[in-house]
Amino acid sequence: MTPAWILDIFAAVMLVVAAVSAARLAGARPWQPRPSQQGAVVTDTDISHLLMSIAMAGMLAPGLTTLPNGAWVAVFAVLTAWFGYRVTRDYQSSGARALAAGHCAPHLVHSAAMVYMFLAITASGASGGGMAGTGGMSKLSVPTLAFVFAFTLAAYTIWDLDQLSGLWRGLVPTVAGAAGPALAGVPAGALHAEAMTRSGAGGARSGLVTVLDSPGTVVGCRVAMGVTMTLMLFLMI
Amino acid sequence: MTDVAVAGNRTAWRGRLGTVPAAARPSLDARRALQLVLAAIWLIDGALQFQGFMFTKGFSQMIGGTADGNSAVVAKPITWNATLVDHHLVLFNAIFATIQLLLGLGIALRPAARVAQAASVVWSLGVWWFGEGLGGVLSGAASPLNGAPGAVIIYALLAVLLWPPGREASAPFTAARAVGAHVARVLWAVLWLSLAYFALTPGNRAPQGVSGMIAGMESGEPLWLQHLQKGAASLVGSQGLAASVALAAALVLIAAGVYLPAGIAKGTLVLAIVVAAFIWVFGQALGGILAGGGTDVNSGPLLALLALAYWPLRTVPAVPATVPAVSEARATSGTDA
Repeated sequence: MTPAWILDIFAAVMLVVAAVSAARLAGARPWQPRPSQQGAVVTDTDISHLLMSIAMAGMLAPGLTTLPNGAWVAVFAVLTAWFGYRVTRDYQSSGARALAAGHCAPHLVHSAAMVYMFLAITASGASGGGMAGTGGMSKLSVPTLAFVFAFTLAAYTIWDLDQLSGLWRGLVPTVAGAAGPALAGVPAGALHAEAMTRSGAGGARSGLVTVLDSPGTVVGCRVAMGVTMTLMLFLMI
Repeated sequence: MTDVAVAGNRTAWRGRLGTVPAAARPSLDARRALQLVLAAIWLIDGALQFQGFMFTKGFSQMIGGTADGNSAVVAKPITWNATLVDHHLVLFNAIFATIQLLLGLGIALRPAARVAQAASVVWSLGVWWFGEGLGGVLSGAASPLNGAPGAVIIYALLAVLLWPPGREASAPFTAARAVGAHVARVLWAVLWLSLAYFALTPGNRAPQGVSGMIAGMESGEPLWLQHLQKGAASLVGSQGLAASVALAAALVLIAAGVYLPAGIAKGTLVLAIVVAAFIWVFGQALGGILAGGGTDVNSGPLLALLALAYWPLRTVPAVPATVPAVSEARATSGTDA
Protein backbone atom coordinates (compact mmCIF):
# COMPACT_ATOMS: atom_id res chain seq x y z
CA MET A 1 0.00 0.00 0.00
CA THR A 2 1.29 3.45 -0.89
CA PRO A 3 2.47 5.16 2.32
CA ALA A 4 0.03 7.71 3.71
CA TRP A 5 2.68 10.42 3.89
CA ILE A 6 3.12 10.29 0.13
CA LEU A 7 -0.62 10.66 -0.41
CA ASP A 8 -0.56 13.51 2.13
CA ILE A 9 2.07 15.34 0.09
CA PHE A 10 -0.07 15.15 -3.02
CA ALA A 11 -3.09 16.23 -0.94
CA ALA A 12 -1.10 19.25 0.25
CA VAL A 13 -0.27 20.14 -3.35
CA MET A 14 -3.98 19.97 -4.14
CA LEU A 15 -4.75 22.34 -1.27
CA VAL A 16 -2.23 24.80 -2.69
CA VAL A 17 -3.97 24.54 -6.06
CA ALA A 18 -7.30 25.15 -4.32
CA ALA A 19 -5.92 28.22 -2.58
CA VAL A 20 -4.52 29.64 -5.81
CA SER A 21 -7.78 29.01 -7.65
CA ALA A 22 -9.78 30.63 -4.85
CA ALA A 23 -7.48 33.65 -4.91
CA ARG A 24 -7.85 33.98 -8.67
CA LEU A 25 -11.61 33.76 -8.37
CA ALA A 26 -11.69 36.33 -5.60
CA GLY A 27 -9.41 38.64 -7.58
CA ALA A 28 -11.50 38.33 -10.71
CA ARG A 29 -14.76 39.15 -8.88
CA PRO A 30 -16.89 37.34 -11.44
CA TRP A 31 -20.04 38.37 -9.60
CA GLN A 32 -19.53 42.02 -10.48
CA PRO A 33 -20.90 43.41 -13.74
CA ARG A 34 -18.25 44.00 -16.40
CA PRO A 35 -18.15 46.52 -19.19
CA SER A 36 -17.14 43.79 -21.59
CA GLN A 37 -17.08 40.02 -21.70
CA GLN A 38 -13.82 39.96 -19.77
CA GLY A 39 -15.55 39.58 -16.44
CA ALA A 40 -16.53 35.99 -16.95
CA VAL A 41 -13.31 34.77 -18.46
CA VAL A 42 -11.90 32.88 -15.52
CA THR A 43 -15.02 31.57 -13.91
CA ASP A 44 -15.56 28.09 -15.23
CA THR A 45 -12.00 26.81 -15.29
CA ASP A 46 -11.08 28.34 -11.95
CA ILE A 47 -14.21 26.97 -10.33
CA SER A 48 -13.36 23.63 -11.88
CA HIS A 49 -9.80 23.79 -10.53
CA LEU A 50 -11.05 24.76 -7.09
CA LEU A 51 -13.62 21.98 -6.83
CA MET A 52 -11.36 19.30 -8.27
CA SER A 53 -8.45 20.11 -6.02
CA ILE A 54 -10.66 20.06 -2.92
CA ALA A 55 -12.23 16.78 -4.00
CA MET A 56 -8.88 15.17 -4.81
CA ALA A 57 -7.38 16.31 -1.51
CA GLY A 58 -10.29 14.56 0.22
CA MET A 59 -9.70 11.38 -1.76
CA LEU A 60 -6.01 11.34 -0.95
CA ALA A 61 -6.35 12.20 2.72
CA PRO A 62 -9.61 11.05 4.35
CA GLY A 63 -9.27 13.78 6.96
CA LEU A 64 -9.84 16.34 4.23
CA THR A 65 -13.06 14.78 2.97
CA THR A 66 -15.69 17.47 2.51
CA LEU A 67 -18.72 16.11 0.68
CA PRO A 68 -20.20 12.64 0.24
CA ASN A 69 -19.20 10.80 -2.91
CA GLY A 70 -22.67 11.16 -4.39
CA ALA A 71 -22.52 14.93 -4.11
CA TRP A 72 -19.14 15.03 -5.82
CA VAL A 73 -20.44 12.81 -8.59
CA ALA A 74 -23.25 15.29 -9.19
CA VAL A 75 -20.87 18.26 -9.12
CA PHE A 76 -18.47 16.76 -11.62
CA ALA A 77 -21.24 15.42 -13.81
CA VAL A 78 -22.43 19.01 -14.18
CA LEU A 79 -18.90 20.19 -14.94
CA THR A 80 -18.45 17.36 -17.44
CA ALA A 81 -21.66 18.35 -19.18
CA TRP A 82 -20.60 22.00 -19.21
CA PHE A 83 -17.15 21.36 -20.64
CA GLY A 84 -18.65 18.83 -23.05
CA TYR A 85 -20.90 21.59 -24.32
CA ARG A 86 -17.92 23.94 -24.59
CA VAL A 87 -15.80 21.40 -26.44
CA THR A 88 -18.66 20.69 -28.84
CA ARG A 89 -18.97 24.39 -29.53
CA ASP A 90 -15.20 24.71 -30.00
CA TYR A 91 -15.26 21.73 -32.32
CA GLN A 92 -17.93 23.32 -34.46
CA SER A 93 -15.85 26.46 -34.82
CA SER A 94 -12.31 25.07 -35.05
CA GLY A 95 -12.63 21.36 -35.81
CA ALA A 96 -10.40 18.67 -34.35
CA ARG A 97 -8.01 21.30 -33.01
CA ALA A 98 -10.51 21.81 -30.20
CA LEU A 99 -9.72 18.30 -29.00
CA ALA A 100 -5.98 18.34 -29.56
CA ALA A 101 -5.08 21.75 -28.27
CA GLY A 102 -8.38 23.28 -27.40
CA HIS A 103 -9.19 25.32 -24.39
CA CYS A 104 -11.78 23.13 -22.69
CA ALA A 105 -10.86 19.59 -23.74
CA PRO A 106 -8.43 19.02 -20.84
CA HIS A 107 -11.06 20.20 -18.38
CA LEU A 108 -13.59 17.86 -19.93
CA VAL A 109 -11.23 14.92 -19.42
CA HIS A 110 -10.41 16.03 -15.86
CA SER A 111 -14.09 16.35 -14.96
CA ALA A 112 -15.03 13.02 -16.54
CA ALA A 113 -12.14 11.32 -14.74
CA MET A 114 -13.41 12.73 -11.45
CA VAL A 115 -16.89 11.35 -12.11
CA TYR A 116 -15.35 7.99 -12.91
CA MET A 117 -13.19 7.92 -9.80
CA PHE A 118 -16.01 8.83 -7.43
CA LEU A 119 -18.35 6.32 -9.04
CA ALA A 120 -15.65 3.66 -8.86
CA ILE A 121 -14.93 4.38 -5.22
CA THR A 122 -18.63 4.27 -4.41
CA ALA A 123 -19.03 1.01 -6.30
CA SER A 124 -16.13 -0.53 -4.38
CA GLY A 125 -18.02 0.20 -1.16
CA ALA A 126 -15.51 2.50 0.48
CA SER A 127 -16.85 4.84 3.10
CA GLY A 128 -15.79 8.43 3.28
CA GLY A 129 -14.49 8.52 -0.24
CA GLY A 130 -10.82 8.52 0.66
CA MET A 131 -8.30 6.29 -1.04
CA ALA A 132 -6.97 5.20 2.33
CA GLY A 133 -10.51 4.15 3.14
CA THR A 134 -10.46 1.81 0.18
CA GLY A 135 -7.24 0.17 1.25
CA GLY A 136 -5.43 2.17 -1.38
CA MET A 137 -5.43 -0.62 -3.92
CA SER A 138 -9.10 -1.36 -4.51
CA LYS A 139 -9.86 -3.05 -7.77
CA LEU A 140 -12.08 -0.93 -9.92
CA SER A 141 -14.93 -2.45 -11.83
CA VAL A 142 -13.69 -0.95 -15.11
CA PRO A 143 -9.91 -0.56 -14.75
CA THR A 144 -9.55 -0.13 -18.50
CA LEU A 145 -11.29 3.21 -18.18
CA ALA A 146 -8.80 4.30 -15.53
CA PHE A 147 -6.01 3.24 -17.90
CA VAL A 148 -7.46 5.33 -20.74
CA PHE A 149 -8.05 8.34 -18.50
CA ALA A 150 -4.54 8.13 -17.04
CA PHE A 151 -2.87 8.03 -20.45
CA THR A 152 -5.01 10.90 -21.72
CA LEU A 153 -4.31 13.02 -18.66
CA ALA A 154 -0.58 12.34 -18.92
CA ALA A 155 -0.66 13.44 -22.55
CA TYR A 156 -2.49 16.68 -21.75
CA THR A 157 -0.11 17.38 -18.85
CA ILE A 158 2.95 16.99 -21.05
CA TRP A 159 1.35 19.06 -23.80
CA ASP A 160 0.55 21.83 -21.32
CA LEU A 161 4.13 21.96 -20.08
CA ASP A 162 5.53 22.04 -23.58
CA GLN A 163 3.23 24.82 -24.69
CA LEU A 164 3.87 26.83 -21.55
CA SER A 165 7.63 26.61 -21.86
CA GLY A 166 7.30 27.43 -25.55
CA LEU A 167 5.46 30.58 -24.60
CA TRP A 168 8.24 31.51 -22.21
CA ARG A 169 10.68 31.41 -25.09
CA GLY A 170 8.58 32.83 -27.89
CA LEU A 171 5.81 34.61 -26.06
CA VAL A 172 2.46 35.11 -27.69
CA PRO A 173 0.29 36.87 -25.14
CA THR A 174 -2.05 39.70 -25.79
CA VAL A 175 -4.44 41.89 -23.87
CA ALA A 176 -7.84 40.46 -23.13
CA GLY A 177 -10.54 41.99 -25.18
CA ALA A 178 -8.13 43.60 -27.57
CA ALA A 179 -8.73 42.84 -31.17
CA GLY A 180 -5.94 42.08 -33.53
CA PRO A 181 -3.03 39.70 -33.65
CA ALA A 182 -1.16 38.33 -30.68
CA LEU A 183 2.02 40.04 -29.67
CA ALA A 184 4.24 37.27 -30.90
CA GLY A 185 7.89 37.37 -29.99
CA VAL A 186 7.53 39.83 -27.14
CA PRO A 187 9.96 38.82 -24.40
CA ALA A 188 8.65 37.68 -21.05
CA GLY A 189 10.10 40.61 -19.13
CA ALA A 190 8.36 43.10 -21.34
CA LEU A 191 5.04 41.39 -20.91
CA HIS A 192 5.40 41.24 -17.17
CA ALA A 193 6.39 44.89 -17.11
CA GLU A 194 3.33 45.71 -19.17
CA ALA A 195 1.19 43.72 -16.83
CA MET A 196 2.63 45.55 -13.86
CA THR A 197 2.03 48.91 -15.47
CA ARG A 198 -1.54 48.17 -16.35
CA SER A 199 -2.32 46.80 -12.95
CA GLY A 200 -1.01 49.71 -10.94
CA ALA A 201 2.73 49.82 -11.31
CA GLY A 202 4.45 47.40 -9.12
CA GLY A 203 2.86 47.40 -5.69
CA ALA A 204 2.86 44.24 -3.63
CA ARG A 205 -0.74 43.53 -4.56
CA SER A 206 -0.17 44.04 -8.25
CA GLY A 207 2.86 41.77 -8.04
CA LEU A 208 0.74 39.06 -6.48
CA VAL A 209 -1.97 39.63 -9.06
CA THR A 210 0.60 39.31 -11.82
CA VAL A 211 1.81 36.03 -10.41
CA LEU A 212 -1.72 34.70 -9.98
CA ASP A 213 -2.68 35.71 -13.49
CA SER A 214 0.43 34.42 -15.19
CA PRO A 215 0.17 31.41 -17.49
CA GLY A 216 2.77 29.68 -15.36
CA THR A 217 0.50 29.73 -12.33
CA VAL A 218 -2.58 28.55 -14.17
CA VAL A 219 -0.86 25.86 -16.17
CA GLY A 220 1.15 24.87 -13.12
CA CYS A 221 -2.11 24.24 -11.28
CA ARG A 222 -3.45 22.14 -14.12
CA VAL A 223 -0.19 20.21 -14.44
CA ALA A 224 -0.25 19.49 -10.70
CA MET A 225 -3.82 18.25 -10.99
CA GLY A 226 -3.02 16.20 -14.08
CA VAL A 227 -0.06 14.48 -12.42
CA THR A 228 -2.00 13.85 -9.21
CA MET A 229 -5.04 12.52 -11.04
CA THR A 230 -2.88 10.22 -13.18
CA LEU A 231 -1.25 8.91 -10.03
CA MET A 232 -4.60 8.38 -8.30
CA LEU A 233 -5.99 6.48 -11.27
CA PHE A 234 -3.04 4.10 -11.30
CA LEU A 235 -3.30 3.62 -7.54
CA MET A 236 -6.93 2.63 -7.97
CA ILE A 237 -6.36 0.10 -10.73
CA MET B 1 -13.96 31.81 -21.10
CA THR B 2 -10.27 31.56 -20.82
CA ASP B 3 -7.99 30.07 -18.23
CA VAL B 4 -5.47 32.81 -18.05
CA ALA B 5 -7.39 35.80 -19.17
CA VAL B 6 -8.27 38.07 -16.33
CA ALA B 7 -11.22 40.17 -15.44
CA GLY B 8 -11.29 43.90 -15.10
CA ASN B 9 -8.69 46.12 -16.59
CA ARG B 10 -5.77 43.91 -15.74
CA THR B 11 -3.59 42.51 -18.44
CA ALA B 12 -4.74 39.17 -19.63
CA TRP B 13 -2.91 36.38 -21.29
CA ARG B 14 -5.22 35.61 -24.06
CA GLY B 15 -2.62 33.13 -25.02
CA ARG B 16 -4.29 30.50 -22.93
CA LEU B 17 -2.71 27.36 -24.16
CA GLY B 18 -4.79 26.10 -26.97
CA THR B 19 -6.44 29.40 -27.75
CA VAL B 20 -3.32 31.02 -29.10
CA PRO B 21 -3.62 31.63 -32.82
CA ALA B 22 -1.98 28.81 -34.72
CA ALA B 23 0.59 31.09 -36.29
CA ALA B 24 1.79 32.23 -32.90
CA ARG B 25 1.95 28.88 -31.08
CA PRO B 26 5.32 27.44 -30.12
CA SER B 27 6.65 25.30 -32.91
CA LEU B 28 6.26 21.53 -32.73
CA ASP B 29 8.37 19.59 -35.16
CA ALA B 30 8.45 15.81 -35.50
CA ARG B 31 11.34 15.41 -33.09
CA ARG B 32 9.69 17.53 -30.43
CA ALA B 33 6.43 15.61 -30.82
CA LEU B 34 8.29 12.34 -30.28
CA GLN B 35 10.11 13.83 -27.30
CA LEU B 36 6.76 14.70 -25.78
CA VAL B 37 5.52 11.13 -26.20
CA LEU B 38 8.69 9.96 -24.47
CA ALA B 39 8.05 12.49 -21.71
CA ALA B 40 4.48 11.22 -21.28
CA ILE B 41 5.74 7.65 -20.97
CA TRP B 42 8.24 8.71 -18.30
CA LEU B 43 5.46 10.50 -16.45
CA ILE B 44 3.30 7.38 -16.58
CA ASP B 45 6.24 5.30 -15.37
CA GLY B 46 6.69 7.64 -12.43
CA ALA B 47 3.03 7.42 -11.51
CA LEU B 48 3.12 3.62 -11.81
CA GLN B 49 6.12 3.50 -9.50
CA PHE B 50 3.97 5.04 -6.74
CA GLN B 51 1.62 2.03 -6.76
CA GLY B 52 1.24 0.18 -3.50
CA PHE B 53 2.94 -2.98 -4.76
CA MET B 54 6.18 -1.07 -5.32
CA PHE B 55 6.35 -0.29 -1.60
CA THR B 56 6.26 -3.97 -0.64
CA LYS B 57 8.93 -6.64 -0.45
CA GLY B 58 7.63 -7.87 -3.78
CA PHE B 59 9.40 -4.98 -5.51
CA SER B 60 12.83 -5.71 -4.06
CA GLN B 61 12.30 -9.41 -4.76
CA MET B 62 11.42 -8.52 -8.34
CA ILE B 63 14.70 -6.62 -8.66
CA GLY B 64 16.66 -9.43 -7.04
CA GLY B 65 15.05 -11.94 -9.37
CA THR B 66 16.64 -10.30 -12.39
CA ALA B 67 20.05 -11.46 -11.17
CA ASP B 68 19.09 -15.08 -11.87
CA GLY B 69 21.00 -16.62 -14.74
CA ASN B 70 23.46 -13.74 -15.03
CA SER B 71 27.18 -14.03 -14.44
CA ALA B 72 28.54 -12.99 -11.06
CA VAL B 73 29.88 -9.74 -12.45
CA VAL B 74 26.41 -8.71 -13.53
CA ALA B 75 24.46 -10.41 -10.75
CA LYS B 76 26.34 -9.16 -7.69
CA PRO B 77 25.52 -5.46 -8.16
CA ILE B 78 21.88 -6.40 -8.80
CA THR B 79 21.73 -8.42 -5.59
CA TRP B 80 23.43 -5.59 -3.70
CA ASN B 81 20.90 -3.13 -5.11
CA ALA B 82 17.96 -5.40 -4.26
CA THR B 83 19.21 -5.75 -0.68
CA LEU B 84 19.69 -2.01 -0.35
CA VAL B 85 16.22 -1.30 -1.68
CA ASP B 86 14.77 -3.99 0.57
CA HIS B 87 16.24 -2.32 3.66
CA HIS B 88 14.97 1.16 2.76
CA LEU B 89 12.03 0.20 0.61
CA VAL B 90 9.76 3.20 1.08
CA LEU B 91 12.51 5.78 0.82
CA PHE B 92 14.16 4.32 -2.26
CA ASN B 93 10.95 3.63 -4.13
CA ALA B 94 9.67 7.13 -3.41
CA ILE B 95 12.94 8.49 -4.82
CA PHE B 96 12.74 6.22 -7.86
CA ALA B 97 9.18 7.29 -8.58
CA THR B 98 9.96 10.97 -8.11
CA ILE B 99 12.97 10.79 -10.42
CA GLN B 100 10.88 9.24 -13.19
CA LEU B 101 8.13 11.79 -12.68
CA LEU B 102 10.67 14.60 -12.91
CA LEU B 103 12.27 13.11 -16.03
CA GLY B 104 8.89 13.23 -17.76
CA LEU B 105 8.12 16.77 -16.64
CA GLY B 106 11.67 17.88 -17.44
CA ILE B 107 11.62 16.61 -21.01
CA ALA B 108 8.29 18.36 -21.52
CA LEU B 109 9.67 21.64 -20.20
CA ARG B 110 11.71 23.05 -23.06
CA PRO B 111 14.41 24.84 -21.01
CA ALA B 112 15.03 21.62 -19.05
CA ALA B 113 14.70 19.20 -21.95
CA ARG B 114 18.42 18.70 -22.59
CA VAL B 115 19.26 18.11 -18.95
CA ALA B 116 16.29 15.81 -18.46
CA GLN B 117 17.08 13.77 -21.56
CA ALA B 118 20.72 13.41 -20.54
CA ALA B 119 19.62 12.38 -17.04
CA SER B 120 17.16 9.90 -18.52
CA VAL B 121 20.00 8.17 -20.39
CA VAL B 122 22.04 7.81 -17.20
CA TRP B 123 18.99 6.68 -15.23
CA SER B 124 17.96 4.19 -17.90
CA LEU B 125 21.38 2.59 -18.09
CA GLY B 126 21.46 2.28 -14.31
CA VAL B 127 18.01 0.71 -14.16
CA TRP B 128 18.82 -1.58 -17.09
CA TRP B 129 21.65 -3.14 -15.12
CA PHE B 130 20.65 -2.80 -11.46
CA GLY B 131 16.90 -3.15 -11.92
CA GLU B 132 16.37 -5.25 -15.01
CA GLY B 133 19.45 -7.49 -15.09
CA LEU B 134 20.40 -6.17 -18.54
CA GLY B 135 16.97 -7.20 -19.77
CA GLY B 136 17.86 -10.90 -19.51
CA VAL B 137 20.05 -10.51 -22.58
CA LEU B 138 22.94 -12.45 -21.03
CA SER B 139 20.87 -14.86 -18.99
CA GLY B 140 18.94 -16.42 -21.84
CA ALA B 141 15.62 -15.19 -20.46
CA ALA B 142 15.16 -12.49 -23.08
CA SER B 143 12.30 -12.63 -25.54
CA PRO B 144 10.75 -9.98 -27.77
CA LEU B 145 7.46 -10.84 -26.11
CA ASN B 146 8.64 -10.13 -22.56
CA GLY B 147 10.33 -6.85 -23.36
CA ALA B 148 13.82 -7.78 -24.54
CA PRO B 149 16.35 -6.27 -24.64
CA GLY B 150 14.81 -4.41 -21.70
CA ALA B 151 12.29 -1.65 -22.07
CA VAL B 152 14.43 0.81 -20.21
CA ILE B 153 17.35 0.55 -22.66
CA ILE B 154 14.95 1.64 -25.40
CA TYR B 155 14.21 4.75 -23.32
CA ALA B 156 17.93 5.52 -23.40
CA LEU B 157 18.15 4.84 -27.12
CA LEU B 158 15.20 7.14 -27.79
CA ALA B 159 16.68 9.88 -25.63
CA VAL B 160 19.88 9.72 -27.67
CA LEU B 161 18.16 9.58 -31.05
CA LEU B 162 15.81 12.43 -30.14
CA TRP B 163 18.58 14.50 -28.63
CA PRO B 164 18.01 18.19 -29.34
CA PRO B 165 20.91 19.32 -31.50
CA GLY B 166 22.02 22.93 -31.61
CA ARG B 167 21.29 23.13 -35.30
CA GLU B 168 18.65 21.64 -37.52
CA ALA B 169 20.44 19.27 -39.85
CA SER B 170 18.56 18.07 -42.87
CA ALA B 171 18.07 14.37 -42.29
CA PRO B 172 16.12 11.63 -44.02
CA PHE B 173 14.32 10.78 -40.76
CA THR B 174 14.04 12.26 -37.28
CA ALA B 175 16.30 9.74 -35.54
CA ALA B 176 19.13 10.69 -37.90
CA ARG B 177 19.22 14.30 -36.76
CA ALA B 178 21.22 13.69 -33.62
CA VAL B 179 23.60 10.90 -34.61
CA GLY B 180 23.49 10.88 -38.39
CA ALA B 181 21.66 8.54 -40.73
CA HIS B 182 24.34 5.85 -40.82
CA VAL B 183 24.65 5.44 -37.06
CA ALA B 184 20.89 5.64 -36.60
CA ARG B 185 20.33 2.88 -39.16
CA VAL B 186 22.96 0.69 -37.53
CA LEU B 187 21.32 1.16 -34.11
CA TRP B 188 17.94 0.26 -35.58
CA ALA B 189 19.30 -2.85 -37.29
CA VAL B 190 21.14 -4.01 -34.17
CA LEU B 191 18.02 -3.63 -32.03
CA TRP B 192 15.62 -5.46 -34.34
CA LEU B 193 18.13 -8.16 -35.33
CA SER B 194 18.78 -8.80 -31.64
CA LEU B 195 15.02 -9.20 -31.16
CA ALA B 196 14.98 -11.68 -34.04
CA TYR B 197 17.81 -13.59 -32.40
CA PHE B 198 16.01 -13.69 -29.05
CA ALA B 199 12.86 -14.95 -30.75
CA LEU B 200 14.81 -18.00 -31.90
CA THR B 201 16.58 -18.91 -28.66
CA PRO B 202 15.78 -22.45 -27.44
CA GLY B 203 13.41 -21.37 -24.70
CA ASN B 204 11.38 -19.18 -27.01
CA ARG B 205 11.17 -21.55 -29.95
CA ALA B 206 10.10 -24.50 -27.75
CA PRO B 207 6.67 -25.92 -28.68
CA GLN B 208 4.92 -24.21 -25.77
CA GLY B 209 7.32 -21.27 -25.55
CA VAL B 210 5.22 -18.55 -27.15
CA SER B 211 1.81 -19.74 -26.00
CA GLY B 212 3.09 -20.28 -22.47
CA MET B 213 4.45 -16.76 -22.33
CA ILE B 214 1.18 -15.26 -23.56
CA ALA B 215 -0.91 -17.38 -21.21
CA GLY B 216 1.37 -16.44 -18.33
CA MET B 217 0.35 -12.80 -18.62
CA GLU B 218 -3.37 -13.42 -18.11
CA SER B 219 -3.40 -13.37 -14.34
CA GLY B 220 -5.14 -10.34 -12.86
CA GLU B 221 -6.00 -8.81 -16.22
CA PRO B 222 -9.50 -7.63 -17.14
CA LEU B 223 -11.71 -10.21 -18.78
CA TRP B 224 -11.53 -8.70 -22.26
CA LEU B 225 -7.74 -8.83 -22.22
CA GLN B 226 -7.76 -12.35 -20.80
CA HIS B 227 -10.05 -13.42 -23.65
CA LEU B 228 -7.69 -11.89 -26.20
CA GLN B 229 -4.69 -13.60 -24.65
CA LYS B 230 -6.44 -16.94 -24.30
CA GLY B 231 -7.38 -16.73 -27.97
CA ALA B 232 -3.83 -15.88 -29.01
CA ALA B 233 -2.33 -18.59 -26.81
CA SER B 234 -4.67 -21.24 -28.18
CA LEU B 235 -4.05 -20.04 -31.74
CA VAL B 236 -0.32 -20.52 -31.33
CA GLY B 237 -0.85 -23.70 -29.31
CA SER B 238 2.17 -25.94 -29.49
CA GLN B 239 3.43 -24.35 -32.69
CA GLY B 240 6.10 -22.43 -30.85
CA LEU B 241 8.76 -23.05 -33.45
CA ALA B 242 6.62 -21.86 -36.37
CA ALA B 243 5.49 -18.78 -34.42
CA SER B 244 9.05 -17.94 -33.44
CA VAL B 245 10.32 -18.32 -36.99
CA ALA B 246 7.50 -16.14 -38.35
CA LEU B 247 8.17 -13.50 -35.71
CA ALA B 248 11.91 -13.61 -36.37
CA ALA B 249 11.35 -13.24 -40.13
CA ALA B 250 9.17 -10.19 -39.55
CA LEU B 251 11.79 -8.72 -37.20
CA VAL B 252 14.59 -9.25 -39.74
CA LEU B 253 12.49 -7.59 -42.42
CA ILE B 254 11.91 -4.65 -40.10
CA ALA B 255 15.63 -4.44 -39.31
CA ALA B 256 16.46 -4.24 -43.01
CA GLY B 257 13.65 -1.83 -43.79
CA VAL B 258 15.53 1.37 -42.99
CA TYR B 259 18.08 0.54 -45.68
CA LEU B 260 15.41 0.22 -48.34
CA PRO B 261 13.87 3.00 -50.50
CA ALA B 262 11.51 5.32 -48.65
CA GLY B 263 8.31 3.75 -49.98
CA ILE B 264 9.28 0.24 -48.86
CA ALA B 265 10.81 1.58 -45.66
CA LYS B 266 7.44 3.07 -44.74
CA GLY B 267 5.87 -0.35 -45.22
CA THR B 268 8.38 -2.00 -42.90
CA LEU B 269 7.93 0.76 -40.33
CA VAL B 270 4.18 0.15 -40.38
CA LEU B 271 4.97 -3.53 -39.88
CA ALA B 272 7.21 -2.55 -36.94
CA ILE B 273 4.33 -0.63 -35.35
CA VAL B 274 1.96 -3.55 -35.89
CA VAL B 275 4.44 -6.01 -34.40
CA ALA B 276 5.04 -3.66 -31.47
CA ALA B 277 1.29 -3.44 -30.87
CA PHE B 278 0.98 -7.22 -31.11
CA ILE B 279 3.81 -7.67 -28.61
CA TRP B 280 2.34 -5.07 -26.25
CA VAL B 281 -1.17 -6.49 -26.21
CA PHE B 282 -0.51 -10.23 -26.33
CA GLY B 283 3.00 -10.67 -24.96
CA GLN B 284 3.06 -7.89 -22.39
CA ALA B 285 -0.63 -7.45 -21.53
CA LEU B 286 -0.32 -3.66 -21.94
CA GLY B 287 2.66 -3.66 -19.60
CA GLY B 288 0.70 -5.47 -16.91
CA ILE B 289 -0.65 -2.10 -15.84
CA LEU B 290 -4.26 -3.28 -15.65
CA ALA B 291 -3.22 -6.05 -13.29
CA GLY B 292 -1.87 -3.44 -10.90
CA GLY B 293 1.75 -4.58 -10.93
CA GLY B 294 3.32 -2.86 -13.92
CA THR B 295 6.41 -0.77 -13.21
CA ASP B 296 6.41 0.68 -16.72
CA VAL B 297 4.58 0.45 -20.01
CA ASN B 298 7.10 -2.19 -21.21
CA SER B 299 8.71 -2.21 -24.64
CA GLY B 300 5.70 -2.24 -27.00
CA PRO B 301 4.92 1.50 -27.07
CA LEU B 302 8.63 2.33 -27.13
CA LEU B 303 9.25 0.18 -30.18
CA ALA B 304 6.35 1.90 -31.93
CA LEU B 305 7.73 5.31 -30.92
CA LEU B 306 11.13 4.29 -32.23
CA ALA B 307 9.57 3.30 -35.56
CA LEU B 308 8.00 6.74 -35.84
CA ALA B 309 11.43 8.30 -35.28
CA TYR B 310 12.61 6.50 -38.42
CA TRP B 311 9.66 7.58 -40.58
CA PRO B 312 11.05 9.19 -43.77
CA LEU B 313 10.75 12.95 -43.71
CA ARG B 314 9.81 15.11 -46.61
CA THR B 315 12.60 17.35 -47.80
CA VAL B 316 12.02 20.87 -46.51
CA PRO B 317 13.37 23.86 -48.44
CA ALA B 318 16.21 25.61 -46.66
CA VAL B 319 15.20 28.57 -44.47
CA PRO B 320 16.41 31.92 -45.83
CA ALA B 321 19.25 33.55 -43.93
CA THR B 322 17.12 36.50 -42.88
CA VAL B 323 13.82 35.66 -41.28
CA PRO B 324 11.29 37.76 -39.42
CA ALA B 325 11.74 38.05 -35.68
CA VAL B 326 8.68 35.99 -34.90
CA SER B 327 9.83 33.06 -36.98
CA GLU B 328 13.24 33.32 -35.38
CA ALA B 329 11.78 33.16 -31.91
CA ARG B 330 9.67 30.18 -32.83
CA ALA B 331 12.56 28.38 -34.46
CA THR B 332 14.72 28.95 -31.41
CA SER B 333 12.12 27.59 -29.06
CA GLY B 334 11.75 24.57 -31.27
CA THR B 335 15.39 23.73 -31.76
CA ASP B 336 16.39 24.25 -28.19
CA ALA B 337 14.11 21.61 -26.92
